[in-house]
Amino acid sequence: MAKYLINRALQMFLVFFIFLTSSYLLFNAMPGNAFQSLLLNPNLPPDAYEKTLALYGLDKPLFERLQLYIINFFKGDFGYSYIYFPKSPVELIAERLPRTLMLFSIVNIFAFYTGFLVGKILAWRRGSKSETWITITSVFSYTVFYPWFALLMLYFFGLKLGWLPIGKFLYPEKWYDAPFDSDVIFVNMIWFTVIITLVQFIAYVLTRNIESISIRRNLRFTSFVLILIGSYFYWGTGEALVRRPYAADIAYHMILPVFTVTLLAFAGTALLTRTTMMEVLKEDYILTARAKGLSQKRIRDRHAARTALLPVVTSFIFTIVTIIDGSVLTEQIFSWPGMGQLILQAVLREDIPVAMATFSFLGIFALVAHFLADISYAYLDPRIRIKSQG
Amino acid sequence: MSNIEKEARKKIRRAAINKNWTLFKQSRLGIVGLGIVLFFAFLAVLQPILFLTGVWNEGVYDPVVGYEPERFELLVVECPQQYPTEKYQEPNDCPARGEVNKVLVFDPSVSVGDYYETSLQPAPPSSKHILGTDSLGRDIFSQLMEGSQVAFLLGLLSATVGVALSTILGSIAAFFGGRVDAYLMRQSDLVLMLPFLPLLFIISAFVELKVWHLAVVLGILGGLGGSVITIKSAALQVKVKPFVDSARITGGSRMRILFSHILPNVAPLALLFMVFSVTGAIASESVLSFLGLLNIDMSWGLMIYLSQTDGYIFSGLKYWWLILPAGLSVTFLAGGFYLVGRGLDEVFNPRLRDR
Repeated sequence: MAKYLINRALQMFLVFFIFLTSSYLLFNAMPGNAFQSLLLNPNLPPDAYEKTLALYGLDKPLFERLQLYIINFFKGDFGYSYIYFPKSPVELIAERLPRTLMLFSIVNIFAFYTGFLVGKILAWRRGSKSETWITITSVFSYTVFYPWFALLMLYFFGLKLGWLPIGKFLYPEKWYDAPFDSDVIFVNMIWFTVIITLVQFIAYVLTRNIESISIRRNLRFTSFVLILIGSYFYWGTGEALVRRPYAADIAYHMILPVFTVTLLAFAGTALLTRTTMMEVLKEDYILTARAKGLSQKRIRDRHAARTALLPVVTSFIFTIVTIIDGSVLTEQIFSWPGMGQLILQAVLREDIPVAMATFSFLGIFALVAHFLADISYAYLDPRIRIKSQG
Repeated sequence: MSNIEKEARKKIRRAAINKNWTLFKQSRLGIVGLGIVLFFAFLAVLQPILFLTGVWNEGVYDPVVGYEPERFELLVVECPQQYPTEKYQEPNDCPARGEVNKVLVFDPSVSVGDYYETSLQPAPPSSKHILGTDSLGRDIFSQLMEGSQVAFLLGLLSATVGVALSTILGSIAAFFGGRVDAYLMRQSDLVLMLPFLPLLFIISAFVELKVWHLAVVLGILGGLGGSVITIKSAALQVKVKPFVDSARITGGSRMRILFSHILPNVAPLALLFMVFSVTGAIASESVLSFLGLLNIDMSWGLMIYLSQTDGYIFSGLKYWWLILPAGLSVTFLAGGFYLVGRGLDEVFNPRLRDR
């Protein structure tokens, strides 16, 4: 196993190196560069363009630039952004990442949970009328043309009813005399979300083995109420009290994107859960459980759903990887200035340092996730382990 | 191959098709999906027929350059400064249907209460234009048909390219193992690492993307990426089956084992992948033309893009014929392919069936 791991890690490093090189070449293959707008300004001296290029080192030959970039990359120096000059890509990512993470972690928690519940019920009620209707709805939301749907939602809730804001992540007028910037609030909110999710998750795990369904449900409900009370006290005391109105402003702006994306994202999980669960229901041990005289609900929740969870969790890991990739479109429509917009701007305006930094950030993320998934497969399925090594 | 053997094979194949069709018919949603796909295929074929037989005049009905010189009589009104008034509830209601705002008539001789003759664009649905016209006077129904041609061409081409690539590469990875496998898996890692939409932005910056190019690019990206991994794991399960061993013992060459024993057994899964990847290709095309990055004359994504940039998407359902048809078409065709895929899934995967 150790040999396999070392081999795999070496391969990963090689892949990352090729990834870095090829994306740098791709960006340089795009016509023009970030400073060409200087040529259009008649007020600048004629050599301003050349001087700026020389300042940023863009006048060097491509190969030399590539070499410099890769050496500096492994030294931990990512250069400076062309558009937001004094800032470095790391600063920009640190500023934008919390916004995207906040939005999409909540979306994914909701979507995964509801999707799993719906899929479980779908597989269980197979052949009934409600199954057909739920399936049609989830197929619709799985394949609906996303930008179109999001725009219609914006129109309906933002303009027609006027309940929710149409774009951006805060009302600037509320933040004029704020004692901190929005990222502090975002980080605070992320920690808050992570902790309450963990508490609820631990409550689920602890109550998992309780036999009686009603006691289990009551305990879980109690933990939920405790979380509510705890968060009420948290936001009502000390520093959090000062931050509360600002956090509420951000949360208010988050409602519409979260609702829209969840509505679309839950369907994928639901349909996947249904398929895997239906395969599991044909297994012999389900028949055994039925023959033992266990209650239907118990078979569904304890015997079938738990096994069906495995591929769903794997797909969940891969969704986390595609979060930032998928955020490009969402953030564009809801004008949410997060990572997706950063990538889009960097690519369209050829801000190569920022684009490279964000690309490699995503690349490392994807590489590690794929590596973990591979190892867990090898660990879970001995056939694949033996075959892929032999 | 002798004649008798040929006959026997034909019979077996026909029996298999019949059996699978019976199984497919049992899934009602699969039939619904097939119906939707056939409906859009009919639309795609209908447009050239209408042009060729002369039912539609190309000058009027062409999806890109057509124009209807029809004139309408409109009542000139003056929109009030404050709402609500007796006639109008909110600013969106004025001018109502059949009326025109005085401010928008650039003819000083016309006064309020007169009838003003103009060509009305976008025109609401009428007997001549079933789904109305867009802001440039082009027939929406004809655009819808053109869009479904584009969607079919793109979806089927990219799915074929992608699935052919991933099936062959996945089987090769599973069959040869070792270094070949490691190389192919790392290659798919590399493709998965590149974020999809930004990558397409970059490509569209230095290549003029037409439908064909986009289809091939989407196919290659899909074919080298995640589906190789899935196909490989399916092929690994085929590789350990006894009939592969017996083929090897009887002296079958590697190529023969690969192409006539492993590939046919992976093929059902590949077909399934193909149907599902059509859904993805249609969606990506629409997203790209929605963002205005493709060099296409007309497509469903472009129709939505136009209705958004012209500002009609936030005008509510007053201009429904600009907003609903294109978006619903993308949704329904993608959903139709998805439902067909689900029906096929039940044919190939016995565990999903009712009995």
